[in-house]
Amino acid sequence: MKRNEFIKRLKAGLKGMPQEDIAEIVADYEEHFDAGAADGRSEEEVAAALGNPSRLARELRFEAGFRNWESARSPSSAWSAILAFMGLATIDILILLPVVLPVIGVVFGLFVAVLAIFVSGGFVLIAGPFSGFPGGWLVAILAGLGMMSAAVAAGALLMLISIGIVNALMWFGRLHYRVIEPAIHAED
Amino acid sequence: MSEIEIQLKKGVLGLCVLALLSRGDSYAYEIASRMADAVDMGEGTIYPLMRRMQSEGLVTTYLEESPSGPPRKYYRITDTGRERLSEQVGDWRTFTAAVNGLILGSEAPMEEGETSHEA
Repeated sequence: MKRNEFIKRLKAGLKGMPQEDIAEIVADYEEHFDAGAADGRSEEEVAAALGNPSRLARELRFEAGFRNWESARSPSSAWSAILAFMGLATIDILILLPVVLPVIGVVFGLFVAVLAIFVSGGFVLIAGPFSGFPGGWLVAILAGLGMMSAAVAAGALLMLISIGIVNALMWFGRLHYRVIEPAIHAED
Repeated sequence: MSEIEIQLKKGVLGLCVLALLSRGDSYAYEIASRMADAVDMGEGTIYPLMRRMQSEGLVTTYLEESPSGPPRKYYRITDTGRERLSEQVGDWRTFTAAVNGLILGSEAPMEEGETSHEA
């Protein structure tokens, strides 16, 4: 493989990452080819020693997603971490998907339910006292507050659970390319 | 190369890079070629590793003019990196001592080997 093709395949694999990160990574590998040439090695030799560019790109992408998730725990960083995880897209992860997707779906559904309980708690709190709530207005206010705080508690619990799930995915992803993938493609 | 060799080498790659850098700053190509000679693995793996170590604050980078061509990115080990290195060297010594004890176990009784590690 020539230098141009290596860089092209690397870039293709990095698509979707921030521009400046891609530029930095590509510059690293360009520098490697320059240093190799100064060392008297051919482009093909250097490319062969570097290894498969698509696989390197997958590892770099996954690491970047992992770092984002580590530095900022937000829904969007969780989502991009999950995408980077899916990007590893190889057999063991495809096998895992039927397990992972329902879990993500259930967590999402629970979030929606918690939000609904919170909103209806607010409704009971505000509208209950004026609409003949069984037990009187004080009961309506307390019931409303109770529903809202239960929703907040359940939401916090769900948050912890989803952080745990994403962490577990990241752990598996690292395990994947450190142990499982080298074991599958021991030759490249 | 057998499977156990690959796993072992991948596991200690970070330790080896820190050890190299603790003896002087270096650039990725030089690190990679020294590692490739000694540890025999894809040179490309060095870049994901260096980026990870940089984000963990174990190394920092700076640019320096090279005698041939454009400036090179040099890596320098940080204090955190040195701490991590001495921790990992300690772990490595304990581990290899334990494995050696087991491998050579046929020559010396097990209990003796174990007590000598704890002592």
